Amino acid sequence: MEKGLTVRKIVIAGVLGAIAILLGVTRLGYIPVPTAAGNATIMHIPAVIGGIMEGWGVGMIIGLIFGVSSFLNATVPLFKDPLVAILPRLFIGVTAYLTYVGLKNVNQYLAIGAAGFIGAMTNTILVLGMAVIRGYMTLGVATTVAITSGLPEAIVSVIVTLAVVAAWKKLGSVGRQKSKISGDL
Amino acid sequence: MSAEFELTRNITIGQYLPTASVVHRLDPRFKLGAFVILILAIAICDTYVGNLFALAICIWMFQISKIPLHYGISGIKPAIPFIIILAIMQLLFYGEVVNGGTVYLKYGFITITSESVRLVIVSAMRFVEVIFLSSVLTLSTSTTELTHGMERLLGPLEKVKFPVHAFALIITIAVRFVPTFAMEMEKMMKAQASRGADFGTGEWWRIIQRTKDMFPIIIPLFNVALSRAEDLILAMEARCYTPGAARTRYTQYKAVGKDYVALIASIVISAVMLAIPW
Repeated sequence: MEKGLTVRKIVIAGVLGAIAILLGVTRLGYIPVPTAAGNATIMHIPAVIGGIMEGWGVGMIIGLIFGVSSFLNATVPLFKDPLVAILPRLFIGVTAYLTYVGLKNVNQYLAIGAAGFIGAMTNTILVLGMAVIRGYMTLGVATTVAITSGLPEAIVSVIVTLAVVAAWKKLGSVGRQKSKISGDL
Repeated sequence: MSAEFELTRNITIGQYLPTASVVHRLDPRFKLGAFVILILAIAICDTYVGNLFALAICIWMFQISKIPLHYGISGIKPAIPFIIILAIMQLLFYGEVVNGGTVYLKYGFITITSESVRLVIVSAMRFVEVIFLSSVLTLSTSTTELTHGMERLLGPLEKVKFPVHAFALIITIAVRFVPTFAMEMEKMMKAQASRGADFGTGEWWRIIQRTKDMFPIIIPLFNVALSRAEDLILAMEARCYTPGAARTRYTQYKAVGKDYVALIASIVISAVMLAIPW
């Protein structure tokens, strides 16, 4: 956690955290798929977007909010384990941010899309990896889940992240940020 | 059909119902601590009677906080189809995963054991209990009190340079904005539906269709959220809000006898819940 959270970072983290909670409580964040995991989720997308927009610290906080909300809403024993529900989610925003920073000089769109993909895959791989380590699933089951629900998740994540972040950054023109104090002027 | 769009009616998080009951008047630090203990106990408890006891306690909580029970029930309604689908899938596919218990049915890859039946029933009950408890907590505690409670509970983390105040503020903003965004989402769903979009009506197994239906809601939702965030940032900076600055409080909380009683009661209830062997 970096020191010196700016007002911008605090507010963006809070607002995107609210979306993560909302997607969880309305169940709109879950896409039911017939696998052992029960459903694919799009609740990691706020963490990805937060990571891209405001850095890894914000991504991590949103991941934490997502993790806790998924822990509290969980109906399967898998997500009643904080090691599976909370810990892996902390890294979604971090990997998304690192991907974005690594690629943004190549092409902005590519960087945002790739960050969306890597963020979603981080969620899938770490959660399922943890599930295998903790003995909730066998490696075979986990691989099936990764393909049947992880890939759709990643595709949805790329589309939504690109649409939201590109619209927000207004690529190629001036950003929409009103505040110039905590923005990167 | 229209009931599907009534999101705000079904979301109890972030709403406050002032009934001035004894639960409302508890010190937020103690109240939060007591609820955390109860929720953790429910998360661990996996016996039928233990969960029945927990359910009774949750309903009793509504009574003493003078909050009508339908507030809690409306929080569960939107999740009922989800609970049922999940319960069926758990019943069919979890027999192999959960160890022990007598086997009731074994047909191909479907195994139903007494333990998997227990898992299905207990997880559904847990779900109801946690929603009830979190409804009581948020309906009886204002966001300011909640933040204060959280800040104090996380206080020790300040020693390891964790930004406790900023973190408490982030959680407050998150909880505060859930009903607002639910309202925005409801508006967008109605706007899309009035233009002929038929999202949410597709059968659940048409995964691609249902996912596509979500885009016209999710993407504008993010944009609305981010523009609201900009307004809030501007407002906070205009009032010279400085993160991490030392600040004093208008309201000072002081724990009295009933706060300690509430905390001890929650520990005793949790212990009883976990001690019930069936």
